[in-house]
Amino acid sequence: MLAAILLVGIALGCAVGEGVPVLERRAQDIEKGIMCPVCPGESIDQSQHPLAVQMRGIVSEKVEEGWTGKQIEAFFVERYGPSVLLDPPREGLSLMVWLAPPIGLALALGALFLVLRAMVRSPASAAEGAQGDVELSEAERDEYFRRIDAAIDDDRGEGTEETTGRSSNSGAGKAI
Amino acid sequence: MIVDTGNLALLLALLVTCYVVVASFLGAWQRIPALILSGRYGLYTVPVLLAISSAALVYAFVNNDFSVRYVAENSSLAMPVKYTWVAFYAGNAGSLLFIAGAFSVLSVLALFTLVKRLPYTAPFSTGLMALVLAFFLGVTVFLANPLERLPFALADGEGINPLLIHFGMFIHPPMQMLGLISVAIPFSIAMGALLAGRGGRDEWVNVGRLWGMVSWLILTIGLLLGSWWAYTILGWGGYWAWDPVENSALMPWLALTAFVHSIMVQKRRGMFRMWNLVLVAVAFTLAEMGMFINRGGPVPSVHSFAQSTMGWLFLFFMGFTLLGSLAAFAWRFDTLKSRERLDSLLSRESAFLAQNVLFLTVAFVTLWGTIYPVISKASQGLTITVGEPFFNRVNGPVLLAIVFLMGVGPLLPWRRANMRNVLRVLRYPLGVAAVTAGVLAIAGIRAPVALLALAVCAMAVTGIAHEWVRGTRSRHRKGESYPTAFGRLVAANRPRYGGYIVHLGITMLAVGAIGSSFYAVQRDFALVPGEEASLGKYTFRYVDFQEVAYPDRDEFTASFTVRSGGRELGVMEPRRSSYRGSISATRAAIRSTPLEDFYIVPSEFGEEGQAVFRVYVSPLVWWMWVSGPLFILGMVLAVSPRRERATALAVGLSRADRAQGVTGRRRLGLTATRRA
Repeated sequence: MLAAILLVGIALGCAVGEGVPVLERRAQDIEKGIMCPVCPGESIDQSQHPLAVQMRGIVSEKVEEGWTGKQIEAFFVERYGPSVLLDPPREGLSLMVWLAPPIGLALALGALFLVLRAMVRSPASAAEGAQGDVELSEAERDEYFRRIDAAIDDDRGEGTEETTGRSSNSGAGKAI
Repeated sequence: MIVDTGNLALLLALLVTCYVVVASFLGAWQRIPALILSGRYGLYTVPVLLAISSAALVYAFVNNDFSVRYVAENSSLAMPVKYTWVAFYAGNAGSLLFIAGAFSVLSVLALFTLVKRLPYTAPFSTGLMALVLAFFLGVTVFLANPLERLPFALADGEGINPLLIHFGMFIHPPMQMLGLISVAIPFSIAMGALLAGRGGRDEWVNVGRLWGMVSWLILTIGLLLGSWWAYTILGWGGYWAWDPVENSALMPWLALTAFVHSIMVQKRRGMFRMWNLVLVAVAFTLAEMGMFINRGGPVPSVHSFAQSTMGWLFLFFMGFTLLGSLAAFAWRFDTLKSRERLDSLLSRESAFLAQNVLFLTVAFVTLWGTIYPVISKASQGLTITVGEPFFNRVNGPVLLAIVFLMGVGPLLPWRRANMRNVLRVLRYPLGVAAVTAGVLAIAGIRAPVALLALAVCAMAVTGIAHEWVRGTRSRHRKGESYPTAFGRLVAANRPRYGGYIVHLGITMLAVGAIGSSFYAVQRDFALVPGEEASLGKYTFRYVDFQEVAYPDRDEFTASFTVRSGGRELGVMEPRRSSYRGSISATRAAIRSTPLEDFYIVPSEFGEEGQAVFRVYVSPLVWWMWVSGPLFILGMVLAVSPRRERATALAVGLSRADRAQGVTGRRRLGLTATRRA
C-alpha cells in the first residue's frame, strides 16, 4: 500500500518538467563545485555573499562564451588557489583523499568476512555449549527448571520473541 | 547580588563534582559504601546548583544587566524577552553552562535507572559522568564564565545573532548540544561496567541500550531540526551541505546507530561484548570531536556561533577519553570473554555486524573528509577543500547499501538462515523493488542511480510492511480481530516493531534525499513588480513588495501569487532582513506538498522593488520533515519497559555461577535447550 502510494508520488513528483535552459544548468553545476572564498564551506551556488553573487555572474558569462567547466575552474583556481574547488583534486598526494575510503571499505569488509568466518568455525565454541552446565547439582538444576518454566509460561501468554529464542533450539526457525 | 550568587553556585557545583569523582572511584575501589553513597548524593545536588547559576544568568538577561559580559555580548535592549532562551546558549560561555546543566540532569536521571539494577557498576558510572561534568564545569568556571562581570556596565548590548532568530533555533541548538553530551551517558554506563570488571556480563546491556537510544533520538531530532532550519532560512534550497560542523554532529550519530543495533546482539545472544564497548567509546569520542570542531576547531565552517580558542582543550579531553578507554580495555581485557560463535555466515547476527561496518565506514569517511584539509595543509602545505561533491560521491553508495541492508537484515532469522528461506522471505520486497524500478523507468526517471536507490527504498518498505501484515494475519487466524492482532503483535515485541517504525522513518529520509538531490530544479529570476515567470508547472507573479525599517533591521518582503496548472495556490511572501552590521537573514516562502516543494527566496535587490529571486522545485523533500514523529514513536516503543521480571530472573540465576562467567541469559537458554 504504502509502497504504491510512494510509487505514484515519486512518479508524479519527478514529472516536473525541465524548464531550465541547458546553459543555465551547466552554470549551476559548475557553481556547486566552487567555494565562496570568504564564506568557508559554502559553494557560490549557496552563498548570498556579494562576492558569491559576482562569481556566479562570471560563471554564467564564461559558460555563455563557451568555456568548459574545466577552464572555468582553472580560471578561479588561478585567482584563489586550489582550495576554491569543493572537490579535492584527483592528482598527486591529494589522490589519497579519494582512494582511502574505498580501500578502507574493502579492508573493513574483508576483515568482517574473516571475523565472521572465524566465528563460525571457532573450534572452542562447539565444546563450550556442553561445558557450561556441568557444575550444577541436581537440586540446583531442578530449581532452575522450575523457575525457567514459570518465566516461560509467564511470557508465553504474550507470545514474545524472547521466549522463542530462549526455549526453542530450532535455529533455522524464523523468529516471530 | 543575584549574579554573584549564581557565580558562587557555579563554583560550588564544580567543587561538588570534583568530590563526586574522587568519592565514587575511591569508594568503588575500596568498597566503602558510605563514600559511594556520598558521591551519588553529591551528584544529585549538582543540577540544583546549576539551576541557580542558570536562573542568575536568565535574571541578568531579563533585566538587561549589561555589566555581565556575556549578556552584553548576546543581548540588547531591543531583544524581545522570549529570545532570552536562545541568547542563553548563543555564545560559547552560555552554551557550556547549558551543556553542563543539561548533562547534570541527564546524569541524575541515568543514575536513577542504574543504582538498583547495576549496584556494582553504578559507582564507576557515577564517577565517569562526574568526570565529564567536571571538565565542562572547569572550563566554564575558569575560561568562559557566562556570569563574569565587566569592569563597568554598558548602556546597551551587542544584540543576538540575527541568524538565530528563527523558531528552529529555539530547539535545534539545545537538542544538538544535549544530543552530543548525552552520548556520555551510555558511554559512562558501558565503561563503568568495564571498570567494575563486569563488562563480560550482560547486565548493563538493557540500561545501556535504553540510554543509547535516548541519546540517538535526541541527536536525530537535533539533526533533523538543523536541516530544516538550514532549508527554511539559509535560502539555498538545501538542507545538508556536509559542512564540518554538520559532519561532526553526524559522526557520533552514525557510531551510535551502529551501537544501538549491535547491542541487540549482545542482549539476545551474549555476543559482541568487546565490540559494543568499542562502539560506544567511539561514539563518545566523536561526540567530543563534534563539540571540539564547533568551538573553534581547526576546520573552517559556516557554524561559528560558539567560536572560541578553547577548542584545543576539547581535543585534549578527547585524547584523554580515547587513551583512558584503551587503558580500561587493556586492564579489564580478561573479563570480556564472550562466546563469539556464529552458527552461520548468513544470519541476523552477521547482518548486524555488516551494518556496523557500513555505518562506521560512513562515519570514518566523513571524519576523513572533514579533517583531510588539515592533514593536507600540515603534510604538504597545500590548502584544499573537501566539500559536498566528495561526500555525496563517496558516502552515497555506502548509504544506499545501508538502506538495502535495512530491507534485508530484519528479515533474516537469528542464528542460522539458509539461502532458500531468505529468498522466499525476500520475494515480495525484491518483486516490489523490480516493479518500482520498471514503473519509474516508464514514468521517465532515467538516472540509473536514482532508479536503483528508489527501488531499494521500495524494497525496504515492502519488507517492513510484509512483516506487519504477516504477523497480524497469523494472530488473526488464532481468532483475534485485525486491530487487536495488530496491537498485540506490536506490544509483544516492542524493540522489533519500534525498530521497524524507525526504519520507515529512515526510508522516508532516504526518499526525500533522493528526490531532492537528483530532481531538484532551480533558477534565478530577475523580476520587477508586476512581472510573471514560470518554472516547471508553476507560474508566479511578483505582485508587490514592502520595505519596513525596524530599529535593528530593514525588512524586505515580496509577495507573489502562484498558480499551478490553472489552479490558484495563494500568496507567498519570501522575506529578507538586513541587520545592522551587514548580516542578513532570509526567510524562504515554501509551499510544501508530499510531491514537491515550491520554494522562493529573494537574493539580490535593485531599485524600486526590482529583485532577483531564486526559485526551486524540489521533489519529495516533505517526506524528510515528517519522518521526525516516526523516530520518536518508534524509539519510545522500542525502549518502553517490559518483561523486567524475566530479565531480573535471568540475572539472578547467573549469579550462582559467576566464576564461570556464564551469563544468566545464556544460562537460561542453554538449560532450557538441554531439557528440551
